[in-house]
Amino acid sequence: MGRYLYDGTSEGLLSAVAHILAGEKDVERVTLVERENTLFEEGVYLATDTAAAEEFFSRLQNLASEAVYTFYYFTMAEKGGLETSMLRYLALALQHGSKVNGYLTHPSVKEIVTVSRKAGRELHRMKGLLRFEKLQDGAYLARMEPDNNIIHPLSLHFSKRLRAEDWFIYDVRRRTAARWHRGSLTLGLIEQFTAPALSEEEKAVQALWKTFFGTIAIPERRNPRLQKSNMPMKYWKYLTEKQG
Amino acid sequence: METLAKLQVLSGAARYDASCASSGCRREGNPYSTGNTSQSGICHSWSDDGRCISLLKILLSNDCIYDCAYCVNRSSNPVERASFEAREVVDLTMEFYRRNYIEGLFLSSAVMKSPDQTMERMISVVETLRTEERFRGYIHLKIIPGSSPELVRKAGLHADRISVNIELPSHESLKRLAPQKEKFSILEPMSLIGKEITESLVERRASRKAPKFAPAGQSTQMIVGASPESDFQILRLSEGLYRKMNLKRVYYSAFVPVNHDNRLPVLAAPPLLREHRLYQADWLLRFYGFTATEILSDDMPNLDESFDPKTAWALRHPDFYPVEINRADYATLLRVPGIGVTSARRIIAARRFSVITPEGLRKIGVVMKRAKYFITCSGRPFEQMERSPLLLRNRLLLGDGGEVTPAAPPKQLVLPGLFA
Ligand code: SF4
Repeated sequence: MGRYLYDGTSEGLLSAVAHILAGEKDVERVTLVERENTLFEEGVYLATDTAAAEEFFSRLQNLASEAVYTFYYFTMAEKGGLETSMLRYLALALQHGSKVNGYLTHPSVKEIVTVSRKAGRELHRMKGLLRFEKLQDGAYLARMEPDNNIIHPLSLHFSKRLRAEDWFIYDVRRRTAARWHRGSLTLGLIEQFTAPALSEEEKAVQALWKTFFGTIAIPERRNPRLQKSNMPMKYWKYLTEKQG
Repeated sequence: METLAKLQVLSGAARYDASCASSGCRREGNPYSTGNTSQSGICHSWSDDGRCISLLKILLSNDCIYDCAYCVNRSSNPVERASFEAREVVDLTMEFYRRNYIEGLFLSSAVMKSPDQTMERMISVVETLRTEERFRGYIHLKIIPGSSPELVRKAGLHADRISVNIELPSHESLKRLAPQKEKFSILEPMSLIGKEITESLVERRASRKAPKFAPAGQSTQMIVGASPESDFQILRLSEGLYRKMNLKRVYYSAFVPVNHDNRLPVLAAPPLLREHRLYQADWLLRFYGFTATEILSDDMPNLDESFDPKTAWALRHPDFYPVEINRADYATLLRVPGIGVTSARRIIAARRFSVITPEGLRKIGVVMKRAKYFITCSGRPFEQMERSPLLLRNRLLLGDGGEVTPAAPPKQLVLPGLFA
């Protein structure tokens, strides 16, 4: 039973998977974990091979394009400890093609698809729940603290929707930011974030939105439990309509 | 009046409209929807009643010349009146959209001077949005009954979805409760819209440049519980609307008594459970291959309160079961309580790889609590198939080990004055 180690990056994961699949016959008997760099760590360390990772990725794209999406969403979840499942999942993907996501009765497929779906769901949710505020210089800023690292696909979504404006999306916990400026998108890290001043009219527009939010609910049908299950409280922090 | 004050009046007046769909291949704002096909619609918030907010849902005006019995805005009600200027609605939409509060606008209105005059003003809002502001977001326009065909056509060229409210489930009730609205003033624009949508689809197949007409389709809404129609009548009506008028969606809205009027029933609370059951039955019509006559009949005209309509059907058809998970086709799987559209698809996908075991079924996401009474897995039943319908009913209601108690008679609505 083989035990392999890799460096914890997505690229490293792909290149390790490529290496293992080339050499091992039965992946169900192999495990793959992130290296901890302790002295007596057991296993074969597979150094990241960028070319091998890329080659594997394009092979996957040809044979199982669905699995590429699943892998992409899986990496957004930033979830450690599932590398062995990913290895087995990818082996099955090469074997069965895009149909692999239907093989939910296989424990590894189930595990990977579940994590990846969850990230996809949060991305979808955030497309609705993100709130922009207008700043003094006319640009818009949105802050968020999602569980998954979704800033990249999320900013792509808004780059198609709010094309005419300049805006930022800031992931407060990860300190990453996306900036849309004059029609081009850049991603980066922000070490020191100071909240810029809001524009004059911002408070007035927010008051209008809060008024709408309050009056659109039917009092006879009040249902805070349903509201919370549809819109978990962890997202309220940056929701304009949920501020005092 | 300030915009803020108007917004308060005119969003409050619009809140009873149920529709909040914001996409062509929808996922609806109905809080009770359980198994949805596509998630491409985006919800932006959920209001205190738990319903999804995706559109700026407002009336252009609540200053109505009509006097519909069930409506807050009826002319005889002493409520505060307000009307937006077109510009105000345009600005609200744009400011909200830029901040990602909404997917777009859902504009409706009371009848101001006449149906045509109202419709014209509504269209001018939408025209400004589309041409001046180049707004490409979602627009749902309500058609005022009695508007002229030219205006209906114009509305459809700018809006993604248009709808005419059917209001009440029968002609008689419409006459009784909304005497100024005629049946034909509702049905005529509906069939015109249906025709235009079909034509535009045909033209667009020939040339991609042909204009789109209401690409997200047509929907309608009716009030449930303000008039004496049975669920069976309502479902047959919906079935007809889906089949003959090619509607995308029928919305049901539980009657909330806002006026004192002896033509209206007195309810302790809005019939929310009934609305919920109707939505479930509506899903069966649209996605599960059921017909209205399979769900209800003249002898059994109302939906069961204790069971969802699919489970109720299953209880009446013990001979249909058990369904063998590893062999049954899609349509048959869909008839199993606890198996929805998603799980049925997943079962079929997973069968390609291996025989499905009970453990596998759980992984797929089948609600075993219900399904186990109705299925076999490679010939093996999960439970001793319960042959006594009464026992099975109780098991489903109370879970395993439930006591056998006679089912309570279904609650009746009180409708004083209606048959006087
Ligand atoms: S026409 Fe519409 S707004 Fe006017 S009273 Fe009837 S339902 Fe209400």
